[in-house]
Amino acid sequence: MKIVVAGKGGAGKTTVSGTIARALARAGNPVLALDADANPMLGVSLGVGFEKTDMLNSVRQALDAGDVEHEPTVEGMVENFGTDAPDGVRLVVASRIDNDSPGCQCCGVSPDQILRELEHEYRVVICDLEAGIGTVSRMAAGNADVVVVVANPTAKALEVARRAIEIAQDVAEVVVLANRVRSDEDLKAITDVVGDHELIVIPEDPVIAAADRDGVAPIDLDPESPGVAAIIKLADRLAGAPLPA
Amino acid sequence: MRIAVVGKGGAGKSVIAGTTARLLARRGYRVLALDSDLLPGLSISLGSGPDPVDPPLNQAAEKNENGRWRLRKGVSVVSAVKRYTTEGPDGIRLMQIGKGGKDGIQPIMGAVNAYYKLIHRLGDARTFADWAMVADMPAGPRQLAFDYAPFAREYLVVVQPGAQSALTGRRVAKIVRMRGGAEVRFVANRVKDKEDVAHVERLIGEPVFWSLPADEGVAEAERLGIAPIDHVPDSPTIAGIEEMVAALARLGGNSSR
Repeated sequence: MKIVVAGKGGAGKTTVSGTIARALARAGNPVLALDADANPMLGVSLGVGFEKTDMLNSVRQALDAGDVEHEPTVEGMVENFGTDAPDGVRLVVASRIDNDSPGCQCCGVSPDQILRELEHEYRVVICDLEAGIGTVSRMAAGNADVVVVVANPTAKALEVARRAIEIAQDVAEVVVLANRVRSDEDLKAITDVVGDHELIVIPEDPVIAAADRDGVAPIDLDPESPGVAAIIKLADRLAGAPLPA
Repeated sequence: MRIAVVGKGGAGKSVIAGTTARLLARRGYRVLALDSDLLPGLSISLGSGPDPVDPPLNQAAEKNENGRWRLRKGVSVVSAVKRYTTEGPDGIRLMQIGKGGKDGIQPIMGAVNAYYKLIHRLGDARTFADWAMVADMPAGPRQLAFDYAPFAREYLVVVQPGAQSALTGRRVAKIVRMRGGAEVRFVANRVKDKEDVAHVERLIGEPVFWSLPADEGVAEAERLGIAPIDHVPDSPTIAGIEEMVAALARLGGNSSR
């Protein structure tokens, strides 16, 4: 099963991805969390830690540094360059742009390629995308089973969500998350762009805000707070979704 | 005044860039606002109306015989700013790379190429020596690494009091400093109190240049899709950006006006 999480920067993609990954792992699923943002941050919401997340090697950098010699498969790279996160989640960072001459960012490790080649029959792959719609627009049918589009009730985030939904619905099942909803008006604004897709409401939650403030995993702070509980419920529902044939 | 606004998505880049551009225009500068984000943002915060589906800069590019993009014959940086920008409020000129849509960035590749070529000529163009330039950059480090604001002399790195935002701020500041030639100034956004500022400074490991308050009026403008400077001109955030712009004008007074 492959789940991809998309949306505007700051919409809450990383928090949602990390929490879904942890929840699925706690439920007993083998989980691979793929950080496909060139500004990788998924380690923070998985509970790997703020400073450690900043130091994680990426597949791209490993290839550039020659640490990987003719590593023939994506599986091999996952094995060699992944990191263990809490609850048994395996975290893999695709690429980290951290200098002023980064070169080609896609050769061999583009998120769509990794998604295509990763084995997913026996595990859940959850992929946190870079802000925007770039990667979604390069995805083909089969690259993901579900695209989770994270929306906020602001004009800009809704416009990004609208574009992401329009593209993603051609390649996968779409689930829209209404994140940081504070009022019926907020919800109404998001409902207007969702169409016939499934909509899940994540209420504004001080626990999630506090977790982001300190760089810890929301699920470690309080798995029963309303926002975290809503994401865990979504994870349960995704795990129950039929696996691809 | 050559400013690029960078940081994590959702940190408040577009609001700060758009408002800064408007305030500089009201201070008497000719202002070129630069939008290299493939996603909507700056035009809303600037109050310049909906983004065109077909970016004007598509007209500035053509393919050569080998199928590679180049500026169309006769297009200079001066004529491009005149012809392929749109006019925003307070007389601002807005140059846009274009927005990605259902077909990805394929339909705007001409504009993307023209934009990249033009921004590398802006810094030396004498016509614009007195202009203020304000660039709103997309989330994260990607465009910084590929030098999408070579004209910038000040990078405002926007950070809100959170780990992800601060980590992004640290990373983009590092890239700007590697390249050199520009100042890095951290702006703490949406701070509620002094402890929030201290928290940001702890996370980034250095002092902030300016801090801007959390502001319900700006949050409302963002929900409605209205430029904050039009919706809540007297709000604490707009006042804060005004003071920051005045401070920047004092600092950069010798080089720009």
